[in-house]
Amino acid sequence: MSVNPSRQDAHRKPRPWWLGLGVLAMGALWLNGARSIASTTNYIGVGPAAIILAVGMGLAVLGVILITQAMRGELVASPEGEEEAPPSRSAFLLALAGVSIPLLTIRWLGFPLTAMLAFTLVTHAFGSRRTGLDLMVGAVLGSVAWLGFSRLGISLGPFLPLIG
Amino acid sequence: MDILSQLIGGFAVALQPMNLFWALIGCALGTAVGVLPGIGPALTIALLMPITAQVAPASAFIMFAGILYGALYGGSTTSILLNTPGESGAVMTALEGNRMARNGRGAAALATAAIGSFVAGTIGTLALTFLAPSIAELAFVFGPEDYFALMVLSFTSVAVVMGRSMVRGFTALFFGLALGTIGIDTQTGQTRMVFGTLELLDGVSFTVVLVSLFAIGEALYVASRSGTVPAAINPLAGGSWMTRQDWARSWKPWLRGSVIGFPIGALPAGGTEIPTFLSYALERRLSKHPKEFGHGAIEGVAGPEAANNAAAAGILVPLLTLGLPSTATAAVLLAAFQNYGLQPGPMLFATNPDLLWGLIASLYIGNLILLVLNLPLVGIWVRLLLIPRHYIYGGIVVFALVGVWGLSTSWMDLLLMCGLGLIGYVARVYDFPIAPVLIGLILGPQAEIQLRRALAVSQGDWGVLVSTPIATMLLSIALVVLVVPPILARLRSRPKTEPAISTG
Repeated sequence: MSVNPSRQDAHRKPRPWWLGLGVLAMGALWLNGARSIASTTNYIGVGPAAIILAVGMGLAVLGVILITQAMRGELVASPEGEEEAPPSRSAFLLALAGVSIPLLTIRWLGFPLTAMLAFTLVTHAFGSRRTGLDLMVGAVLGSVAWLGFSRLGISLGPFLPLIG
Repeated sequence: MDILSQLIGGFAVALQPMNLFWALIGCALGTAVGVLPGIGPALTIALLMPITAQVAPASAFIMFAGILYGALYGGSTTSILLNTPGESGAVMTALEGNRMARNGRGAAALATAAIGSFVAGTIGTLALTFLAPSIAELAFVFGPEDYFALMVLSFTSVAVVMGRSMVRGFTALFFGLALGTIGIDTQTGQTRMVFGTLELLDGVSFTVVLVSLFAIGEALYVASRSGTVPAAINPLAGGSWMTRQDWARSWKPWLRGSVIGFPIGALPAGGTEIPTFLSYALERRLSKHPKEFGHGAIEGVAGPEAANNAAAAGILVPLLTLGLPSTATAAVLLAAFQNYGLQPGPMLFATNPDLLWGLIASLYIGNLILLVLNLPLVGIWVRLLLIPRHYIYGGIVVFALVGVWGLSTSWMDLLLMCGLGLIGYVARVYDFPIAPVLIGLILGPQAEIQLRRALAVSQGDWGVLVSTPIATMLLSIALVVLVVPPILARLRSRPKTEPAISTG
């Protein structure tokens, strides 16, 4: 018995039901938020909770539709993404580390050094292996940005908080 | 006559040496970000938003307008030489322009794109000059119910038109609306959806959302797919100017593109993509050389490029006259106005004529600067494409960090940047449009204010929402925009029934 190849492909494709679940959860959070807003005053027409309620309901409905679409195999990655190389988990995680590292370092290393680390992690995610050069370019970029924006009156925190 | 005297006043503002300097900076920056894939005008303006604290409003908006127009000029360079559109409006240019470049006619393609952009940009700006004040005056009769209906139309059309499916468009819109509800309710002072976090009392910053969804999401996406071999750059060849035949084949598409681009750009969610598609289709139909299409027809570059630039001028009409953004870039410009405590709309024409007319006048000047920057100096911009991709994206992340950390040196903003960056990545993978998020975030609170104002005036009577012809018409259009596409899609997908054949 032969199986339709397109149907077989549809079975193999990942079904991102979690996406709909995330939207549904956000909707539930907003609905709960609307419930917890105190309504001590009588408002004409709509009070401060009404829009939260409407948005929560909208998100919940859309979440359910997205789950249904995902289960039917209608919610798939963009065709552009499919034409490109398969995603690399290690590259993604390195880039994510580059984006997240300011959370850990910016308060005690300052902006220029944090920018240097973030820059180097992202360049490595893109396949660069010239760590020394990347650190140097990142440090120069971070310092120039810090100096330039400080001159414009925009505070990016102390240059090197560790040395005060 | 009044418009002309206002425009002359605007030129007096725009031609001040400092403003000319900012226009030049904006045009150069805009061209650079248009050339480089992955950075658009919306992100660039958002990253530069902190400077609004230091620079005079007129100067800042003159620079931002230069970025908006410059990105369109620069986008065509990448499309033609690299077959990678730097921004969405340049997709159609890549079809014929890159073929021309491969056939050794890259310089002619770049020239028709630049001159077409100049012609259409100037026509679009002329239309903006004479149309915007009339629309602004019309907007004086708008009541809160009309504004609410206008915003509903904007929401609906943005969610329906942008993205691959209506569900994804609406999900993006509702996500933006949800983010817009975070913070203190301006009318009652109650906190909403802050989860006990003091940093969220002022709401989620528009810049943080935009930078995270666009820059961080894009960097994560491209990094995870960085195994892809970058496209080859076609060398500039074939002389630097168009032949007499190229001129003869280009001028009509430039004019037609301008006529298509401006009105569609002025519609809510019109954007720059639809007019460029329409212009390409029209030129293909009208061309005396239809067989050249797909192999490097100059009309296929001239028309869409003109439509693209005329649409950019059109986008400014609803933004400046009604305070209604129809694209991501327009939403960022609206946020920039709000940063200065200004609300675009009819009142702005009365209260800040120097700023508005200076901005409009700067569009004429910016177009001229861009023609000079892009025609003889195109070789310099092409060199930007030689910067290694890892440095471009490393730089984008550093500047995203500047944009987010520079707002208020808040750790919460950095946390939001990471979370929203991940959401931006998922949106990129599953093709959820970003523009509806931004429009929901920026227009949601305003729509809520107008709704509550209308209901307060009517003593809670919901019938007020359809009490004026304008509101009724706008809500009816919104309903049509919402209902018609699914019906059409269903009709198209319905299998054609075979006529019954009598066998008797």
